[in-house]
Amino acid sequence: MKADSIGESRGVLVKMVNIHKWFGKVHALKGVDFEVKHSEIVGLVGDNGAGKSTLIKVLSGVYLAEEGEIFFEGRRANITSPGDARKLGIETVYQEQALAPNMSISRNIFMGREPTKALGFMDKKAMDKASMEALRNIRLDVASPDLLITVLSGGQRQGVAIARVLHFEAKLVIMDEPTIALSIKEAHQVLEFIKQLREENISVIFITHNLYHVFPVAERFVILGSGEKIADVEKKDTSIDHLTELIVREPSRL
Amino acid sequence: MEKQQFLHPKVSLAHFFHYRSSSVFVVFVGLVVLFSFFSHRRFISGGNLQILLALGSEFNIVVLGVGILMISGEFDLSVGSIVVFCSFIFIRLFEMGMNLFLAGLITLGVGAILGWLNGLITVKGQIPSFVATLGTMMLWRGMTLLLSQGFSRSFDVMASPTFSRVLTGVIGGVVPVQIVWFAGLALALGLILHFHRFGNWIYATGDNKNAARAMGIKTDRVKTICFILVGVLCALVAMMQIVRVSTFSSRVADGWELKAVAASVVGGTSLMGGIGSMVGVVLGTLIISAIENGLVVLRIPYFWTYTVFGLVIVLSVLFSRYVEARKLKHISKPSETSPGET
Ligand SMILES: Nc1ncnc2c1ncn2[C@@H]1O[C@H](COP(=O)(O)OP(=O)(O)OP(=O)(O)O)[C@@H](O)[C@H]1O
Ligand SMILES: [Mg+2]
Repeated sequence: MKADSIGESRGVLVKMVNIHKWFGKVHALKGVDFEVKHSEIVGLVGDNGAGKSTLIKVLSGVYLAEEGEIFFEGRRANITSPGDARKLGIETVYQEQALAPNMSISRNIFMGREPTKALGFMDKKAMDKASMEALRNIRLDVASPDLLITVLSGGQRQGVAIARVLHFEAKLVIMDEPTIALSIKEAHQVLEFIKQLREENISVIFITHNLYHVFPVAERFVILGSGEKIADVEKKDTSIDHLTELIVREPSRL
Repeated sequence: MEKQQFLHPKVSLAHFFHYRSSSVFVVFVGLVVLFSFFSHRRFISGGNLQILLALGSEFNIVVLGVGILMISGEFDLSVGSIVVFCSFIFIRLFEMGMNLFLAGLITLGVGAILGWLNGLITVKGQIPSFVATLGTMMLWRGMTLLLSQGFSRSFDVMASPTFSRVLTGVIGGVVPVQIVWFAGLALALGLILHFHRFGNWIYATGDNKNAARAMGIKTDRVKTICFILVGVLCALVAMMQIVRVSTFSSRVADGWELKAVAASVVGGTSLMGGIGSMVGVVLGTLIISAIENGLVVLRIPYFWTYTVFGLVIVLSVLFSRYVEARKLKHISKPSETSPGET
C-alpha cells in the first residue's frame, strides 16, 4: 500500500477553484485556485495577511467562502463545518491549541473519538496501544501513553497532534505554522514527523514564514500575496532565494 | 519493527494517586489524627462518626457535583439556593398530600431544571458562570423567602416510612443510609469521570475548550449536563434534609456555595478547570466536614470555624502545589532524554 502511488503520476486529492472570501470590506481571497495531489507536501507561503490562514480555513470548514468550489477526490465537496472536513479526511494541526495540557497522551489522541467497550466506557487498553503505535509510526519515542502533555517538549506535543491525525487516517493534513515558537532542534523534529506523513501516503499543506523549514520537505510551493495566488512552482524549478524574491516582489504585480 | 511491551509500574502507581490526591490524603489523615488526639478519641468514637457521616453526607453529595462542574471549567454558586428552593417545592407537594415518591421525582426534576437554567445562562448567554450563578443564587433564595414568608413548615416522617428510610434510615442500626448514598454516588460519578467517554469530554472541555471543540466535543452540552447534575444532587439533598429534621427552613444550606468550592479546591480541583479527581473531591469534602465537626468535638467556639477553614484551604493548596511541582520535575526528567534521534 505504501510505495505504489508515489512513482506514478499522481491524481489530484483536493482542488479549490476560484475561491473568494470577504471579511466585511476586506477582500481576503480574490479568486484563488489551489490544488494538492495525493501524498504531496505543498508549502503555502506568503507575507503577513496574504490570506494563507483564510484559505485553509475555508478548506477545513472554519470559514464559508462566498464564491468558489471545492472538489475532493474528484467529487464536489460541500464543506460547511469542521466536522464535514474531518469526515472527508481533512485534519488540521494547530500549534498548542489542539491538545489539552493536563490530560494524558492517549486521552488527547482519542479526545472526542474514544473507543468504547460497554455502555460508553472507554477501552483504555486499546487507546494506549493504538497511541503508542501511532507515535512509533512517526518515530516519536515517549515512555508512556499516560504522560501528561505538560511534561512534553514543544516538538513532542506537535508529534502527538500529528500522531492523532495519523491514527484517524487523514488523507490531507493542514499545518498552520507548526514550527513557530519551537527551538531549532524541536522544529527539526517536527519536519521529520512531516516526512513520516508522506511515507504514510498522506498529503500535507505546510504553512510557514520560514522558507528554510519548508524548502527541504515540500515538493511544490504556492505563494499568496494580498489574497491572490502569485506563484505555483515545483521545487526543481526554484530555490529559497527565488521564492524569497517572489514573495518580496509581490506588491509591484498589478 | 520491534513489538515492545510498554510497562510502567511506576507511572501507573502514580496514576492511582492521580493529580494532587496523594497530598490531600496526607492532609486528611493529619487532621483526623490531630482531632482524635486532642479530643481524647471522642472524634473517632462510633457516635461521633455516625453524626459526622450522616450530617456531612448531605453537603458532601453536593460537593461531588460541584467538583465535577469545576473540572468542566464552571462554577455554581447557587447550590445552597437550589437546595432551599427544592426543599420548598418538596414540602408544598407533601402538604398537598401527594405520594412522596412522586413528589420526590418532581423535586428532582425541579432541581434538574434549575441546573439546566444555570447552564443555559452561562453557555448561551456567554456569561461567566461565576456571575450567572451569583444571580440565580440570589434569585432562588429570594423566591423561596417570598413564597415561604420565611416561616418554617413541618414534615411528617410517618407520612411514608419507606420514603424516610430510603433517605435517612440507618442500616443494621449502625450505618446511616446517607453515607451509602454518598459513597454510591461518589463511586458511580467517579467511574463516569475517569473511565467513561463522557468523563474524558468533561476534562477536555475544562482543560482546553477550543481543542475539545475542534475534536468534535459539544462543550456547551457537556457543561450544561454538569450543571444539571449539580441541580439534581441539590434536590436529592434537599429532601434528605427535610426528612432528617422533619422541618422546612428557609435558612437551609446557607453558605454552602463557597464551602463547596473550598472543598473542591482543597481536594486538588483547579479553579481554571481541567484538573481534579473524584478521589480528591471526596477527600476534600471529608476534610471540610471533618473540620466543622472536629471543632465542635474539641469544644472550640463556632466562631473559630471559618478561621480554621481559611488556614486549611491556604495551607493545603500550598502544600499540594509543592508536591505537584516535585512530581512534575520527577516525571519530566526521563522524557527529556528521549526525543527522537535527530
Ligand atoms: N476573522 C477575520 N475578520 C476580519 N478580517 C480578517 C479575519 N481573518 C483574516 N482577516 C483579514 O484577511 C486577510 C488575510 O488574513 P490571513 O490571516 O488569512 O493571512 P495570513 O496569510 O494567514 O497571514 P499570517 O502569515 O500573518 O498568518 C488579512 O487582511 C486579515 O486582516
Ligand atoms: Mg496565518
